[in-house]
Amino acid sequence: MCRRAARRTIVGMTNHRSDAVVTVRGLRKSYGSRVVVDHLDLDVHAGEIVGLIGANGAGKTTTVECIQGLRRPDAGMLRVLDLDPVRDADRLRPLLGSQLQDSALPDRLRVGEAIELFATARARNGDELLARFGLAERRRSAFAALSGGERQRLFLVLALLNRPRLVILDELTQGLDPSARRDVWAAVAQLRDEGTTVLLVTHELDEAEALCGRVIAMRAGRVLDQGTPAELMARHAGRATVRFGWGAGPDDLASTLRRLPGVADVTEAGGRIAVHGERQVIAHVGAELVRRGRVPADLDVDVPDLEAALLHLLDTATNPAVPVLTGAR
Amino acid sequence: MSSSTSAALRLVRAEFRLAPRDPMTLTFVLVFPIVCMLIIGGAFGTTPDRAFNNTNPSQWYVASYFTVVIAATGLVMLPVHLASYRERGVLRRFAAAGFPRWSFALAELAVGLVTIALAGVLLLVVAAPVYGVPPVHALGRVLAGLVLGSIAFVSLGVLLGTLLPSARSAQAVGLLLFVPSFLLGAGGPPPKVMGSVVKHVGDVLPLTWVTRTIREPWLGIGTPTASLLLVAALAVVATALAARRSAL
Repeated sequence: MCRRAARRTIVGMTNHRSDAVVTVRGLRKSYGSRVVVDHLDLDVHAGEIVGLIGANGAGKTTTVECIQGLRRPDAGMLRVLDLDPVRDADRLRPLLGSQLQDSALPDRLRVGEAIELFATARARNGDELLARFGLAERRRSAFAALSGGERQRLFLVLALLNRPRLVILDELTQGLDPSARRDVWAAVAQLRDEGTTVLLVTHELDEAEALCGRVIAMRAGRVLDQGTPAELMARHAGRATVRFGWGAGPDDLASTLRRLPGVADVTEAGGRIAVHGERQVIAHVGAELVRRGRVPADLDVDVPDLEAALLHLLDTATNPAVPVLTGAR
Repeated sequence: MSSSTSAALRLVRAEFRLAPRDPMTLTFVLVFPIVCMLIIGGAFGTTPDRAFNNTNPSQWYVASYFTVVIAATGLVMLPVHLASYRERGVLRRFAAAGFPRWSFALAELAVGLVTIALAGVLLLVVAAPVYGVPPVHALGRVLAGLVLGSIAFVSLGVLLGTLLPSARSAQAVGLLLFVPSFLLGAGGPPPKVMGSVVKHVGDVLPLTWVTRTIREPWLGIGTPTASLLLVAALAVVATALAARRSAL
């Protein structure tokens, strides 16, 4: 049924870009009566790092498992590197590098043996990759003896080993300490610089903000919105706030601030002023304070980040009175 | 060599590397049958007995315990190994890495058959100075029983490993199947001293069929063609199902 549906959709597809690495249209997947992915559309283009974000149960992992041909969709069309992930699985999988959530290697397999097992004829130098990810000294260690961070780094090495055209990383830094996370981020950033296409599944919003050129937010198996981190912040981050102490006394500052571009509201309490509005108010308020020759020492700026934007987006999407946003692309 | 063949060979090599590192393999497949054979084989002496079809009881058990190795591999070692791989996501990783769908089944079949061969030879090496190895009366039939019985039980093991949800459940179900098969179909009392109900239960156990196809032509006490056909049918069906279920 899936293959028939896929063929029908391919014929009807009109917006397939020539640099498309992943094209998904109307993907639907259920487990029993529970719909996990619901008519999902998704595009990944060559050289992009795309983040698939959302809370646990949003359908992210099922989506990438369908993209890899590890799960058979109930309906919809998927093309990955111009191949059907289910029908052409044997041809497609060697072109992908993947780090899967909740997967492992045999406990007694040593790191060096894992490299030998997964290396195809076109593989990079395994020893160089192990050294790059700080695993050269662990070559003879069994998988079971590796720490959580070392395991994740080994999975990353294996994902990159065979010069994949698309790298899929699912919960890449789960369980890593902050230092190890930064190391892995640096490695992914290097992939981006080398032009590798990466689909990154995460619920760590700072990770998506640091690494992804484009972010797709999912909830309940559907795309809520997508765009660059800056675009999502602009659309969903709410207001920026500038706060400072100004003291009491007659002053026209508050009324002047209310007239500045982008200002939505100005509140005064206990000798402190808070200016709320679009992000541009940060610059305008700063300029006004400088013009008055008095920059308060306790000046504080609350700038929304991607996490705030997405929390706002997800909160909005849970409210049935507010329509779910559709993709920007 | 095609990339599929190369990938399959890498997987087979890795599984061969890992098998001797598994304590379950070492204890249950290599040590357990030998220890039991030494104990039970010595319990009934060496004088030919009617209960043992007028054969030397010690040599009866040497011939019988070859199939205990087959059962231990197929009903315990492989199901636990496979279920553990499935439970921990190892098979998903192999699948995602592009190993051919049939490669894991091939690797398990190869590892299972070689394990049986090595464990069987070790059993005979230990038995030889203690009880002696009985002469083989019909080598072709014995080999046919050995090969078909091994394929049948390795495939059953792979099939169980793909059906059971976890390593713990595979161990529980595997032992539940192994113990009656071991006692009634290979390493326990001879059928002639069993009560009628127990004997009937033993007659329908697949391991009993395998044991008959090996022991009787080996000791020259029969040529159980019906059992050989049943084992062959079991091998074909179990292999087909196992190959289908274990596709990556």
